Amino acid sequence: MYVYLYDNFLKHKRYETILKAIETRLTDYGIAGKIVRLQQYSSADLLLQDEVRKGAKTVVIVGNDTTFGHILSYVASHTVTFAFIPIGTDNTIAEVLGIPVGIEACDILARRRRLRLDVGWVNNRYFVSQLHIPPSPIAIQYDERFNVSSTSGKMELVVCNLQPFFWTGKGRRYVAHPQDNKLEAFLRPVVPGGWFKKEDFEEPSIFPFEEMVVTSKKPFVVEADGKTTKEVKVTIRLAKSRIDMVVGKERKF
Amino acid sequence: MFKNTSEPQRPQAPQPVNTPRTHHDEIETVVGPSVVVEGDFSSEGNILVKGTVSGNVQTGKLLTVEEGAKILANIKAGDALVSGEIKGNVRAEDKLHVTESGRILGDIYCRVLEVESGAIIHGKVTMTDIEIEDIRADRKRTTSRTRSKVEILPEETEEAL
Repeated sequence: MYVYLYDNFLKHKRYETILKAIETRLTDYGIAGKIVRLQQYSSADLLLQDEVRKGAKTVVIVGNDTTFGHILSYVASHTVTFAFIPIGTDNTIAEVLGIPVGIEACDILARRRRLRLDVGWVNNRYFVSQLHIPPSPIAIQYDERFNVSSTSGKMELVVCNLQPFFWTGKGRRYVAHPQDNKLEAFLRPVVPGGWFKKEDFEEPSIFPFEEMVVTSKKPFVVEADGKTTKEVKVTIRLAKSRIDMVVGKERKF
Repeated sequence: MFKNTSEPQRPQAPQPVNTPRTHHDEIETVVGPSVVVEGDFSSEGNILVKGTVSGNVQTGKLLTVEEGAKILANIKAGDALVSGEIKGNVRAEDKLHVTESGRILGDIYCRVLEVESGAIIHGKVTMTDIEIEDIRADRKRTTSRTRSKVEILPEETEEAL
């Protein structure tokens, strides 16, 4: 049984046509199912628990990067197959998964090419897209083997899983691959800027890892899949092959 | 007109990835110029060092030490390209290339060594997997043989007598 989780922003009139077209295509394929519209304060975890109890086997997330990250961070522990129909803008994860935006995503869903994907684990919850720590005086220990610090003090940390990290310094493009059994940490120390900038970012240091511990004497902000918290110690870990996902042939891994 | 931003620029929103994946896109370990790494630092992929590393460094692939970088550690790598400073022993499985700005203060073990003029190496260099006939050992062997002959001869003569 298929369950479709619609994001709240899809209530807008401009998405009516595309949603109708998608629903028609899904009916043609014979994979139409129950539609659950997420509200601002509805708990994705409780909703999914209820649907799994009722016999849901495939959960399809309909929305954008934010929807995907937000829902999967709560429900990745469920043993169902996940799929994604990207709609609108901000859909970088869909491209990594090889899923086209809009109605063509239904064709990918109908083919059911499945893969098990790694996800990140931070302080007792999952994250699937990206974790971001804004510039803070942090120290990092990787895989209990080596420590990383900056001579300039403050560092920004971005841990990528499915969402690619793009840095424009030398026009080079980095893509995080969810199948490589590692998470990628992009570390950018803050250095004094030039004439018109007080501070600037240094080019990123990159460390693939399985586990890292970030500590600081002062509380620092952690943003993961749209949720922001303040911590003094964060353990980030790789959860290997955690989610069963429908992917496209044109995926980036 | 002239903005004096106290906060550094936020990371740019991820752009759609249109280009196909090439080997240049592959993630490698990069240690930036103002980053300090302490401990046993190992990687399965390429390592690019622009900052400071102390402890041990190990990779099965290419280690690149850029100009201005400092490594205070023993190094094991598949190949190595050194333009910075290394204080420690360097063991390369295949090729070690020291550029004109490179400095190695330690012993070197490698199969192929390439040194540009201006590079500084202070230590013992050992080329692995190469069998060279040791001239000294040969000399010793020949002299010992002649000595033994000299020693044997009088005994034989005594017995004959």
